This record gives sequence, C-alpha cells and structure tokens, in this order.
Amino acid sequence: MITYAYYPGCVAQESGKELDNTTKFIAKKLDINLIPMPEASCCGGGVIDGFDENLKLFINGRTLALAEKKGLDIMTVCNTCTLTLSEVNEELINNAESLEKTNAYLAQIGLKYSGKVKVKHLLYAIRDDVGFDNLKQKAVRSLRGVRIAPFYGCHILRPSSIVKFDDVENPRGLEELIKVLEGEPVSYVRRTKCCGFQTILVNEAASTSLAGNAIFEAQEKEADVMVTPCPLCHLSLDTYQTVAAKNINKKLSLPIIHLPQLIGVALGGDYAEMGFSRHNISLRSVMAKIRQNEI
Amino acid sequence: MEFKVKVYRFNPEFDDKPYYKDYVLEDFPGMTVLNALISIKSEIDGTLSFRRSCRSAICGSCAMKINGISKLACKTQVGPEIEKFGIIKIDPLSNMPIIRDLVVEQEGFFDKIKEIQPYLMGKSNVGEHADDFHALKEGEKITQPVFFKSEFRNLTGNNDTPNCILCECCYSECGGVTGNKDYLGPAALAKLYRYSEDPRDNDKNGTRLVNGSKPNRMWDCVHCQACEEFCPKGISPVKSIVKLHEKAIKNSINFSNGAKHIISIAKSIGETGGLDEIKVALDTGGITGLISDLPMAFGAGLKGKIPPIRLKLIKDMEDIRLAYKILDLEEK
Ligand code: SF4
Ligand code: SF4
Ligand code: FES
Repeated sequence: MITYAYYPGCVAQESGKELDNTTKFIAKKLDINLIPMPEASCCGGGVIDGFDENLKLFINGRTLALAEKKGLDIMTVCNTCTLTLSEVNEELINNAESLEKTNAYLAQIGLKYSGKVKVKHLLYAIRDDVGFDNLKQKAVRSLRGVRIAPFYGCHILRPSSIVKFDDVENPRGLEELIKVLEGEPVSYVRRTKCCGFQTILVNEAASTSLAGNAIFEAQEKEADVMVTPCPLCHLSLDTYQTVAAKNINKKLSLPIIHLPQLIGVALGGDYAEMGFSRHNISLRSVMAKIRQNEI
Repeated sequence: MEFKVKVYRFNPEFDDKPYYKDYVLEDFPGMTVLNALISIKSEIDGTLSFRRSCRSAICGSCAMKINGISKLACKTQVGPEIEKFGIIKIDPLSNMPIIRDLVVEQEGFFDKIKEIQPYLMGKSNVGEHADDFHALKEGEKITQPVFFKSEFRNLTGNNDTPNCILCECCYSECGGVTGNKDYLGPAALAKLYRYSEDPRDNDKNGTRLVNGSKPNRMWDCVHCQACEEFCPKGISPVKSIVKLHEKAIKNSINFSNGAKHIISIAKSIGETGGLDEIKVALDTGGITGLISDLPMAFGAGLKGKIPPIRLKLIKDMEDIRLAYKILDLEEK
C-alpha cells in the first residue's frame, strides 16, 4: 500500500466536494492510503506571492513541514496547489536564505523543514506509483467508444523547471490514462492552453473566452466529455460554461469531468456518490454512452 | 536523413485562404529550422516569406511556431524536433495578424512596449539637482513613496529582463493576450517592472504602478506560465508581473479588481486558513460582480455547489496568524 499526506486544496473541500469524495473513493480501490492534513492551510491560490512573497514561503513551507513530520510525500488533486507547493519546495531546497527564514518561523510553531517531501499530483501518482497496469486490472467498467478530450491546464505542465511530470511540449499522461481505461483520447490544440480562471473575477469576458474556445474546439472534434485534473479549470469549464458560451457567442454543451471521476467510473463507482449530478453541464449523455458497454 | 517540412502559406494578394505546403529536405548534423527554411527559399521555392537576420538567437526576428510552439528558428535544431514529432510543422506566431506566410504584423506588440514608457523618467531626486525634479502629470498620484528601489542593485544580479530580444515568443504563447487583444502582454510588463525597479528612474509618484494597474495591464495576466516556459532567453515575465503585483499592493495601489482579489484571498487565509470563494468574489467585483455572475451563482446554487457562508477554521489556525504577525501583514 502506498501512503501519502493528502492535500485536497480549498476548492475540493468547498464548491468542488465531489472531487474530494471521489478521490477518496478511488484511493481506497487502488490501495492508496491518504492521511488527512487538517492543519494544512490554503496554498494561496497561485497568487499569494503577489501579496507577499514571504507569506507564500511560510504557509506552504508549513504544509511541507507537516508532511515531512509524518514522513510522507504529498498528494494533490489541484494543478495550482501542485505548482505552488512545488515552487516553494524547490525554493526551500535550493535557496539557503529562504530555508533559514522559513525555518525560523517554523521553529516557533514546533516544526522544521529539511527538503525531503515530494509533491505529486494524483494523475502522476497513479502513473508512477500505482501503475497504469495495476489500474487496468482493477477496472470493471469500460470507457470503450467514449471520446474524451484531455484538458491539462497550465500548472501541472508549466513551468517545466518546477513541475517535471510530463513533456511540456507534448504531454501524454492524460491520453495514456484514457487509453488504459479503453476510452478514445480526442486530439485538439487547446488541450495544453489556459482555462483563464485566474482573471475570471477581473475580466470575465476575456477569461471565459479561453475556456469557451477550448470547449468549442473539443466539441468540433466530436468529444463526448472533457476531463481535467484541476478543480479551478473545472470551475472555468463547467460552472462558467453557460457564461462562456454567451461571451464567445457559440453553442456550448460539453460535460466536464474531474480526473478521479473518470477513474471512478472505470472502478465501478456509483454515479450519485461520485457527485455526477453536481455539475452545471449534465453528465447524463456520458453515463448513457458508458452504459452501452455494460449491456 | 530525409525529413518533411510542412509550412503555413498565405499570400493575401493571390490566395483565398491559407494552406500548407510540404517540402522534403536532407538534414545535416546540427541543422537548424532556419537552415531548413533558407534552403527551401534558395533552392526549392523562392516565394516563401519569413523574417530572419542574425542566425544566432540575438536579433529576435525568426520567431515562429515550430510543431505548435513559438520558438526561434535559428535556435531550434531539426534533429530533436523530428525525433519528437516526426515532422517540422511551421506556422506564423499566434496573437498577431498575418501579413504573409510566416511574417506577422508586429506593430501591436511594439505599441504596447512603447506604452509602458521604456526609458528613464525625470531627473535624479538626490543631491544638488533634487529641485529639478518634475513628476509626470499623467495618471493618478499616490502619496506613499515607492520603496523597493534601493533593492534594485541586489536584484540586477539575477534580473533577467534586460536580456529580452523582443522576439514575441512569449506574446504569441500568452493566454492573457489570446483572451484579450488589448492586454499588454508579458514582454511589455516585464519591462515595466524593470523600469519600476531602476534606481535611476525618477518616478517618485508611482505613476508606473498606477498606470500599470489600469485595465488590460498587470492584473490581466492569467498566470498561465507560458511566457516563462517558452522564452528563448530564459526570462520569466510572469515572475516580474507577480513582483509588480506585490509592489502595487505594498504601496496601497489597490483600485484594480485584481489587487482587491489578491488582498481578499490573503485576508481569507489570515482569518480562516482557507479560501472563502464567495467572500473573495464579493470583495473582488463588489455587488456588480456578483450580479453579473448571477447565472453562474444560480446554476451552482441549484446543484448545491454554493460553498458555506462561513468557513470553519483549519486546525492550529494560530500558526497561520503567527505568520501574518511576523511578516507584519495583519493590517493589510
Ligand atoms: S521576454 Fe523572452 S520571449 Fe518575450 S520577447 Fe523578450 S526574449 Fe522574447
Ligand atoms: S503568465 Fe501572464 S504574461 Fe505570462 S504568458 Fe501567461 S498570461 Fe501572459
Ligand atoms: S535570426 Fe536572429 S534570432 Fe533567429
């Protein structure tokens, strides 16, 4: 059994609860032991260094130190949490001055960080630690005939000097996973582009046009569903899809699924328990397609 | 080894629409994509248009999309591209109008560079010339002094922005520009940061930061990290943009929704340890923001997705409060 300190991030604990629940479900099925981190704070949503660079170091240094104290690596389910924790980790490992000031703070709360923790996103934890073969063996439902558009999002790929999971120019992780589950990966240009989430409250038209155009392209390529490893992308792509459609003046109606929900389907999960009714764009068409394989 | 080059072609004088043309070439060790294009032009097809000059990654002319990613043709070798993609597919840069084939209209990009005033402003405000100083009249003014300036010398040691060759690779890959054609973009904003840090610059009223905080500027960055990833000179414009954010907020230049957004997130973490999605939305856009987001809120509400009004505190919340106290951030 593989054990991680589990860092779900804020969205998976609030508006995107289905992500957290389904992650726990697939972890059980895949023999991944997730140790909760009730003391962990928000990572700062990818923008906290714009408020104070040291605050980013301190609060995320604390999260890393909490995992180190447990002797565990961290598993994340959000791209932005993954990048932020990884950035701080690299900084603390490579910059003695940063480590010293962070440890001065950590000492006051009874913690210390020495750089031993690795930060892994669920997708690559499954690829590298569980193994796709293992996943394949445990799959009980086939995604045969389902055309799935992978949407990577930014922070799981870039900057590749920090998040080193995949080939930034031509990532394969999601496509490989889809194939393992017998689905058909849809090839489209915007799979590695930005969803626009960070400016959704600053410039909604600009922000949602990014998600909207990605959805439109995938629709044109006859995708049945889009899968994303990031809950922030999910907000842009699903929750705001109706707004995006209006802003780009196109008809959009593409179900967007969280990565663990896709895996959960294959592992025989109950649709209601995996929160399939919690999405803005209905997943009914996808469920119907999958059901065809079961008859 | 023989390899195929697939090139985007479009001459608006004769062509109704763009098309791709294939060329087959023989490679040699160390052959660059620019070498390939030059031999196409001189030996196969003289009508192909593209920009180039230095052939040594310093003039910034030969940027184009190679297998989907903006790169300098003279810095990109054929071998590894073929190994990865099996072909050399070439397109003009994105986010810019196409003039012909691989040649794009650069005026918009350079206008934006000019917009940030890429030169030193005013005279020195120290020593005997101090009284000569005239602050720029344009823009809103703030009373707080712009600090951080004295730190410039320390910063210049690893400050990468002066190495920019204005090649537009970042601009072509920029998610912010893709969504909003008026967004200044990475190269211009990195320059804005570089000038705002220059101790010789005499912008003592913070005009640069105030202007930079207006719509379509520093707060319109979507943090996609493409500029850092794909800059051929190892520059990270997005890091400069984040420093601009920090500098604006530390100087109380908070009028933009972007600044309000970050302050609200910081406040939420300082109070609960977590991120309060509803409060952040309210603080950022005010009431109008929430109203314009009503369809979203309504849709989310129907599915029971509206997060709780009050977050519960994380365990050991006092640890986080201490971080804010040490960093003197409690009042912000
Ligand atoms: S920042 Fe880098 S990619 Fe952007 S224009 Fe300058 S050199 Fe080119
Ligand atoms: S990080 Fe910001 S400036 Fe850089 S490419 Fe993305 S949107 Fe543009
Ligand atoms: S020809 Fe000058 S940068 Fe490539």
